[in-house]
Amino acid sequence: MQTDDLISLMTASHRPVDTRWLRRVTWLGAVTALVVTALLVLLVLGARGDLASAWLTAPVIAKALLGASVAGIALVLFQRSLRPGLNPGPHLPLAALPVAIVAIWAVLALSRAPADQWSALIFGSYWRACLIAVPLYALVPLAILFGLARRGAPVDGTLTGACAGLASAGLATMAYSLHCPDDAAPFLAVWYTLAIAAVTAFGALAFPRLLRW
Amino acid sequence: MSLDELETQLRPVFLAALAGDAAAYRLFLDTISVRLRGYLRQMLARTGRSEASEVEDVLQETLLALHLSQHTYDPASPVTAWAHAIARYKLVDHLRRTGRHAGNLPLDDKTHQLAGPNDSAALEARLDLERALAALPERTRLLIDRVKLQGTTVAEAARATGMTETAAKVAIHRGLQAMARFLSRRGERPG
Repeated sequence: MQTDDLISLMTASHRPVDTRWLRRVTWLGAVTALVVTALLVLLVLGARGDLASAWLTAPVIAKALLGASVAGIALVLFQRSLRPGLNPGPHLPLAALPVAIVAIWAVLALSRAPADQWSALIFGSYWRACLIAVPLYALVPLAILFGLARRGAPVDGTLTGACAGLASAGLATMAYSLHCPDDAAPFLAVWYTLAIAAVTAFGALAFPRLLRW
Repeated sequence: MSLDELETQLRPVFLAALAGDAAAYRLFLDTISVRLRGYLRQMLARTGRSEASEVEDVLQETLLALHLSQHTYDPASPVTAWAHAIARYKLVDHLRRTGRHAGNLPLDDKTHQLAGPNDSAALEARLDLERALAALPERTRLLIDRVKLQGTTVAEAARATGMTETAAKVAIHRGLQAMARFLSRRGERPG
């Protein structure tokens, strides 16, 4: 087939194209993923016993904000990574900003507490649960974002995967904050950050192998 | 023509095409394919490949990808950068699949600005797209043959095959999607 034939064929079947669709479905997909993940957390793990009184306290809000800001930044970059020529890679470190703020807060909290409480502040009571649950629940948004990535044109699969991983971990953090009973800032800074990093790395490794177009 | 001039000329054309203007789309594809052919030829020559048919193969795959990814264009960004990023992706994919890693090819963002002038001869590609076409369901293939070879309009071809025009356009679009899938799966099969 000659290139001219191919062009004729593409022109003949041409129809108007909606360039905003990708952005719309990304946000819609993220909201859907958040709702589904939160419901799963509530159904499987249940809400933390004191959620009714605790949801307006700083630690719970901080957890949700950490997740929301990481997810928000990552979703913008994710959506842009599906559009060739935009190269959002250099903006990826922005997602570390919320994590850095939490880290500073954690250091301040530790510096104010006596050294014999540090261990309790860092390890809390359920650090293993956090480390397992956040990446596990992040698989729900990750699957949805993977489906979206296939509808875009990711020229850098690793970047798309990292953004998808970050966003999924952020959404899972918001969902898991409904259950997580550990409220200390150092706990948040260590275990949530580790969980988010793990999901990000997983996305960055898995997506390039699965995304071919 | 410099890249900036090309951008200035091409962007309004592509925006019109996105709004549904088929003539503008034709002009965009004709113009960008000349540019991309030059870019791909130069890049392939750097890896020691100068067969025109190979250039044409990668160009066709790139055009197919451009066509199927139109919705990924951000109207606020340069359309030439968008097209070149897709061409670069398809080129790297092609080199990897055909057993030569991109290696130290300078496939960075600046490279496409070097793409020189070139002729736009209608070259026959090798058999890649032909094989992809052969793998389509018969009904779609007949429809495509009618539009491609006999130069009939989609409306006429649709009437002849007893479909509505919209259905025919959708069928051709799905056919192109299947061909793109076929091409990108080649590397996964043995041989």
